[in-house]
Amino acid sequence: MEFAQNETLEIKKTLENIYKFLWRHKEYVNRLNVFPVPDGDTGLNMTLTIQGALANLPDYSDNSISPGEYLKVFAENMLLNSRGCSGVILSLFWQGIAQVLVDSDFSAGNVLKALEKGYLNAYEGTENPQEGTILTLMFELKEKYGQVMLDEENPVVILINCIPHLREVLKKTPDMLPVLKKAGVVDAGGAGLLILLEGMEKEFSSKQTPDALPISSVLNINKTLRKLLKSRSASLRYSPPGTLVQNLGVDNISNIKLRNIIQNVQFYVNNILHNSKRLLSRDAIIKDLDDMESSWNPDIKQRYCTEFVLKSNKISSQDEMKQLIGGYGDSMIVLNSDDIYKVHIHTNKPDSIFSDVSKYGELVFTKVDDMKKQHRNFISHDTIEYEREQSVFCIVSGDGFKKILENLGADDILNYGKKKPSVNQLVKAMNQLKAKNIIAATDDKDILMALKYAASLSKSNVFIVESKSVISLISMLMAVSNDLDIKNMSFMNRLNDIRYCGISRAIRETTAEDGTIVKKKDFFLMHNGKIILSGKDIKQVVVKSIEKLVEKESLVTLYKGIPAKRHNILPELKKTFQDLEFEEYYGGQYQLYYYLTFE
Amino acid sequence: MNKRILVIASDNIGLGFNQVEFPDIEYLQFPIIIDEQEFRESETYTANWLIEKYTKENIVARTTSIVKGELIEIVEKNKDKYDLIVHVVMGSNMSAATYTIAEDVRKMYEEIIPIINIDTRQVVGGVGVILLRIIDIIKETKDADEIISLSKEIINTTFSFFVIPDLKYLYKGGRIGKAKALMGSVLRIIPLVGLLGDDDEGLILPIGRGRTFKQVNSLLISTINNKLKDYSIDKAKLINIISMNDNPEAFSDLKEKLEVSVPCEKMIIGEPHLVGSVYLGPKSYSLSINLK
Repeated sequence: MEFAQNETLEIKKTLENIYKFLWRHKEYVNRLNVFPVPDGDTGLNMTLTIQGALANLPDYSDNSISPGEYLKVFAENMLLNSRGCSGVILSLFWQGIAQVLVDSDFSAGNVLKALEKGYLNAYEGTENPQEGTILTLMFELKEKYGQVMLDEENPVVILINCIPHLREVLKKTPDMLPVLKKAGVVDAGGAGLLILLEGMEKEFSSKQTPDALPISSVLNINKTLRKLLKSRSASLRYSPPGTLVQNLGVDNISNIKLRNIIQNVQFYVNNILHNSKRLLSRDAIIKDLDDMESSWNPDIKQRYCTEFVLKSNKISSQDEMKQLIGGYGDSMIVLNSDDIYKVHIHTNKPDSIFSDVSKYGELVFTKVDDMKKQHRNFISHDTIEYEREQSVFCIVSGDGFKKILENLGADDILNYGKKKPSVNQLVKAMNQLKAKNIIAATDDKDILMALKYAASLSKSNVFIVESKSVISLISMLMAVSNDLDIKNMSFMNRLNDIRYCGISRAIRETTAEDGTIVKKKDFFLMHNGKIILSGKDIKQVVVKSIEKLVEKESLVTLYKGIPAKRHNILPELKKTFQDLEFEEYYGGQYQLYYYLTFE
Repeated sequence: MNKRILVIASDNIGLGFNQVEFPDIEYLQFPIIIDEQEFRESETYTANWLIEKYTKENIVARTTSIVKGELIEIVEKNKDKYDLIVHVVMGSNMSAATYTIAEDVRKMYEEIIPIINIDTRQVVGGVGVILLRIIDIIKETKDADEIISLSKEIINTTFSFFVIPDLKYLYKGGRIGKAKALMGSVLRIIPLVGLLGDDDEGLILPIGRGRTFKQVNSLLISTINNKLKDYSIDKAKLINIISMNDNPEAFSDLKEKLEVSVPCEKMIIGEPHLVGSVYLGPKSYSLSINLK
């Protein structure tokens, strides 16, 4: 295998093209995902694993490292960025390959050794390896490669020549793993691996990959067929589903199980209608339909797909890590490189795992996916095709605050203006984000309840930040640092970093904390949910508020609301408090005249 | 025979030349360009002069690499007096051209005198900290391989942090790196960026941000303490803090916080140089630390 003069750039370009190819076909892979849990994210996880590795690859355009070393760096980045079972197994496979190719020996024989090592690495790293999965395809790849190598020297050509065989193997995966057969699909991880090889092939020629029916359609057809079979003979003949089944060509239906069932239903219906004979058992077909339906709706015993990266010199081996947390769940995969441990596990207690392992080192990265939620999205008729890993979603009132939060790193903002959003609006807004994980925060504690309910209806994993004001959101986002990396969520502890108060106007007579009466249309200071002072003149109320609340702070910021749009009290404040620094921004909030913050 | 070693450094080290207690040292000057005109540091053209110019005029300044001829001149002048030259070079990650020049000159003199080019992967105060630590090594050993090997550890454990109220100077100089994420805020924010010895990419990274200098200083202190913790070190070796002399309150606050919260064998208050001020701009200050 030969690379051009600027070798690392060439390799990176090839890897990027293969990644793009997988990205275009990720939904196809997602739709095959029934094992180990039908959460519909195999394609996305494999894609994100490669995407993360590419994004974190250092720039070696000066050829300061060899192609083999470059592939090793890529492998290390894949491990650190791996997502989900399939992503982790793929990175293990690649780690093994890269270990052999590190000396840049790309001869056919050495590539075979690399494939063998890759398979072994992936197999041994998987807690409970199963036949009929991506591991089977990895095994078959190295076997077939060895055979083709006898007649061919170019490793790329050999790999391409292995593809037809792997397609056949993929077709047989339902015979190896019963859950695939019941669901009528081939293995998703295996399909993903094949797509990666096809992506490589596409670098040299042009090929098409298959398309798959959405699972919601498969399940709806399943339901319609069941209903049809249970109906009277007249329905079989005259109802739209009855006539459709009689005339349907099934060759293009990619779901093997569904195709077989439809053929059986056609056979059954035609015999009833034309021969009045029951050559096939209706109950047997219905049982097939039930089996298929249940394979897409299993009892998910371990709800959370949990991943973390731990930097630890107190844990000495993968086995020790497995012993430490093995009791918490299943589908565990542990990888390690030096003192870095990357772990994937399905569990009901992610927090307990994080708490346990953090005693042994520093948790560099954590991720928890709610698989029940992902499964619901996956099988629903309005399934969302996730387009990104996560979004920081803020729900606020005010144009000014929208801009401020955007600048501070919020990905998406719903500016609800005067009218607080309904649960429906929140669900719709969150679904439109097309993010697998959403960190949602609002500026109003009254919206928090609606947001919690909306989160349960949303298709994404939603983590709610228990914020109570827009200042908490500013505080939280200000604390996000280090390349705006929000993965470890520690910034959520920073909600109360900024002290603040609000200045508003009474719409009816009320009583302050100390018992004094606040008359209608008086301005008042609200601090920690209590009315502290009031007055007729807004300037005086602001001045008194600052006198009362400033402690050691040196900066007072005014966030102006719509009611105070025409006010200009800043010059007077600067004159009154010459030791303090003042800044003013337009927040655009509807109710409060001002938010004052003290920093 | 006692091996004689010459150290070459530049005027971008964030230290006064009298703060470097080593007799066998030569300094190169980095030129800076303002409106196509070249300037070198002198009594007139200082860091404070540039900062004042930045404040009063809308100028764009940039740096260029060291001049090859000047480096050759230094080597030529000293090649017969010394057995080894150690050139402490500004990070190739920040100025590839400077490092290339240093390497060219090393190859030119390969047969005449050995030259070790130390790629500090740092700028300004970070280069100064590494220079002082390498001088410590040279005082202990004259063995070239040992100097190279010990320098590597020093480089990997040297970190620079910059409090830069306005990132536009860094941006215009093309040195913004990943710190670009901290630009363009509606709110006035004070960014804290870093150049970390243990970062493979060697880019300027965003470390955090604050609304006041005191907040940023606290963040800086906690970042340093986390580094000490990461490397299981009780006491840092050396800290060098440098200000542009136009933000005394914030700088004093940092100094006080350091004295109280960061255990360190030696703390130096360095001096800003003309070239070092080009990308930092008004009211900025920096801290460089070597852990071991």
